[in-house]
Amino acid sequence: MKIDHTQPLEYSTDQNQLNILGFWIFLGAEIMLFATLFTAYFTLEGRTGSGPTPADIFEITPVLIETFVLLTSSFTIGLGVHAMRLGRKNAMLTFFGITLLLGLGFLGVEIYEFTHYYHVGATYQTSAFTAALLTTLGTHGAHVTLGLFWGLFIILQVKKRGLTPENANKSFIFSLYWHFLDVVWIFIFSFIYLKGMMM
Amino acid sequence: MEFFERFAIPHPSPMIYASMVAIALVSIGILVGITYFKKWGYLWHEWFTSVDHKKIGIMYLISALIMLFRGGADAILMRAQLSSPEMKLLDAQHYNEIFTTHGVVMIFFVVMPFIFAFMNLIVPLQIGGRDVAFPRLNALSFWLFFAGAMLFNISFVIGGSPDAGWTSYFPLAGNDFSTSVGTNYYMLALQISGIGSLMTGINMITTILKMRAPGMTLMKLPMFTWSALITNVIIVFAFPVLTIALLMGTTDRLFGTNFFTTGNGGMDMLWANFFWVWGHPEVYILILPAFGLYSEIISTFSGRNLYGYKSMVGSMVLISLLSFLVWTHHFFTMGQGAFTNSIFSITTMAIAVPTGVKIFNWLFTMWKGKIRFTVPMLYSVGFIPLFTIGGVTGVMLAMSAADYQYHNTMFLVAHFHNTIIPGVLFALLAGLTYYWPKFFGFMLNEKIGKSTFWLVAVGFVLTFFPMYITGLDGQARRMYTYSEETGFGPLNMLSFVGSALFAIGFVTLVYNLYYSFKNSPRNIGSDPWDARSVEWATHTPIPEYNFARLPQVASSEAFWDMKKKGHKLFTGELKEIHMPNNSGVPFVLGIIFFIAGFSFVFALWVPAVVAVIGIFVCMALRSFEQDHGRHINVKEIKEIEAQYEEVPGNEDRSHTTTRV
Amino acid sequence: MKELFPAKQVMGFVFSLILTAVALLVYFTNMSFAVGMTILLVTAFIQAFLQLVVFMHAGESKDSSAIYTNIVYGIILAAITIFGSLLILIWDM
Repeated sequence: MKIDHTQPLEYSTDQNQLNILGFWIFLGAEIMLFATLFTAYFTLEGRTGSGPTPADIFEITPVLIETFVLLTSSFTIGLGVHAMRLGRKNAMLTFFGITLLLGLGFLGVEIYEFTHYYHVGATYQTSAFTAALLTTLGTHGAHVTLGLFWGLFIILQVKKRGLTPENANKSFIFSLYWHFLDVVWIFIFSFIYLKGMMM
Repeated sequence: MEFFERFAIPHPSPMIYASMVAIALVSIGILVGITYFKKWGYLWHEWFTSVDHKKIGIMYLISALIMLFRGGADAILMRAQLSSPEMKLLDAQHYNEIFTTHGVVMIFFVVMPFIFAFMNLIVPLQIGGRDVAFPRLNALSFWLFFAGAMLFNISFVIGGSPDAGWTSYFPLAGNDFSTSVGTNYYMLALQISGIGSLMTGINMITTILKMRAPGMTLMKLPMFTWSALITNVIIVFAFPVLTIALLMGTTDRLFGTNFFTTGNGGMDMLWANFFWVWGHPEVYILILPAFGLYSEIISTFSGRNLYGYKSMVGSMVLISLLSFLVWTHHFFTMGQGAFTNSIFSITTMAIAVPTGVKIFNWLFTMWKGKIRFTVPMLYSVGFIPLFTIGGVTGVMLAMSAADYQYHNTMFLVAHFHNTIIPGVLFALLAGLTYYWPKFFGFMLNEKIGKSTFWLVAVGFVLTFFPMYITGLDGQARRMYTYSEETGFGPLNMLSFVGSALFAIGFVTLVYNLYYSFKNSPRNIGSDPWDARSVEWATHTPIPEYNFARLPQVASSEAFWDMKKKGHKLFTGELKEIHMPNNSGVPFVLGIIFFIAGFSFVFALWVPAVVAVIGIFVCMALRSFEQDHGRHINVKEIKEIEAQYEEVPGNEDRSHTTTRV
Repeated sequence: MKELFPAKQVMGFVFSLILTAVALLVYFTNMSFAVGMTILLVTAFIQAFLQLVVFMHAGESKDSSAIYTNIVYGIILAAITIFGSLLILIWDM
């Protein structure tokens, strides 16, 4: 494996560069995936049948907590990558750990939110609106869940094998994924929750 | 017993029972045969675990050819049923199932793997690379495609085929009107193979952007690789739409959600909308690689470089964007306003322009060329006029007001077959003939190949041109029969005769493979067609690492430059070559996906959950795995390269390339 | 300790918090739907852009033009899909 020391560790081999570009292209596909979910949501948000409307079920407090937690986790993973570039392995692991804890917190609030919807009569089967809402949130939530496992595996690997070019590459790509989930959340926050509560 | 009743076929007939027996016998025969000849180890080590792009390409090719016969059998049954009024060969339900599976199989499990076969086989060679960017992911793509294809095909004997058309419009495809598990199969099989396609898209884009040979800038890419790049861009952005639409369709059918239902706010039109947001780009996913193949073939056999390289590239880039802007023309008559229809009419007509540019480029490439009418060239020359007719009828259909007359008739069926068959199928057959010697070391017989071409071409014209007439006279598509008074009988009989010729054409193709395997000379060298781009510059059979030295490229026809202008293609010292290791995980994941899909189809939750966990376990294992591949050292390379000089007929390269 | 908190990223975080607060105005104050949507569109896209450049380092490698092309292409097609579908299914029905 040829290592190019003029580059940051995560870019330092040919395969690493391929992985990063490939992941960006995957994120392009993810943009379309979430765009499709948003299309469904916008089309169906007014079609509530006999069920509740968005304004009936949305609550500002859990949404604010989720937003703040996820924004902060996006910040900490950015700091994690920065620490990694400085070669500060322990600082990096700490930031990654904080990120995952915040992600776990986000997921907890989201689970609370889903049970709340269930109790106010907005289940998966209630109407086209609830199905579109829960599928969009659920897809994002599933991404976060997957990210928690992935991030945990990366922490374990960095701990065990150190900051190798391979691990740095994995960590960087994971940070891209995590930031992307934050971007998606910004759109969910703005155009599902705030828009729904405004109407 | 009750548990097993769900696996029964809802509308059995002697034909299906006979097929069940035949499928069982063939499967047992294959298993016994492999065991008897002790080939399991060979299959496992050389094929199932392979991450070599060439082998994966060949596996795609074989799967596509097998599926072609499945789809073709459906087609000939449909034509037979319609050959005369009030035929009793198939009942309405079977006819529904057959036109559904014909469409799905041909699009997803014939043409898609066929184009992936060519991308896998040719793209790494054309860019002078050693493999794709993510070889293991590439193997996974193939096995996911294969799992999806197998899942779709067993619907025929376990639980019932889908019957809501290849478009599966809701509410017809919903639980109320499609009560069998057929549509579940549709949703899950396409989901699984679609994930594979998306991965191929990411893989190929990265490969083409990052792994080109020294000197090969984007504007020096051979045209097939350009078409592959654009196609994969479309795949990456179009397939997620299908993923979500299928997810919603699946939850509607399995979990009682209301996305596409007619109650509780559900909107059936949303499915049609999503299906075609993906579906129209899909049309260009099929046709662009075909255009790429034609470009290679026409320029080789005209003995001239491709006319208008830049406009070819520009028109493909334009098509990639426009293909996302026309989807409404698939449902002009389904209720949106005249304003919307007008917009999409105009964009639809606009997309004919870049396609027209390409047609003229091919014509100008042939202009004043020394044309050699080989089999691949015959297909290409046949393609141009026939495809143009299909394009012109497409512009007719693009006029939304007139579309009220054409829609849902045989006219439409004639139109899209008129674009797909000369456009895509001819290209695939031409490409098969053209690239066959590179990958298998012998040429397909030209004489038999020409008779295949004429049978297929005449068969195509006789099958589909009558449908334009019956369609304009009002014969509806997807109707299993018609009365004598309609007067559609004679023209439908003509269609049947045409489709029989078509079928004979495919029999001659298979015979050609057999005949050429037996009789064709093996000392054909590495460049039997006197071709132009870099994929022909390596040995035949191609060594595992493709090129001992990476080619130095200065134009889109570097191999031609080497032969005619003394360009030095291979210079410098031999270096150690890094190659990826084989892996069994993609194959295992394919099986797990198959089990997961099957369990979801029948709502068997325990195995479904277990299989999904299995998928994540495989991903976790991959995360922890350390696999840095292996190296082929210079000594081994020299030994491998030395073998080629001993092969007679290979000396044609030795005076032009610097050899070891 | 200080080197672990680069000014660029801290500023990016603060700015994204401010943008979130601005977006919240549409909930806490009374404004028309059009004004509210405009604010949301502006804040959401600035935030997304911020993440892309400050945190995701989209511009730093030599593949940055491919990365930006990819993202811009994705956004264009996403907009076409969303607005085209709304046109077909709701606005012009």
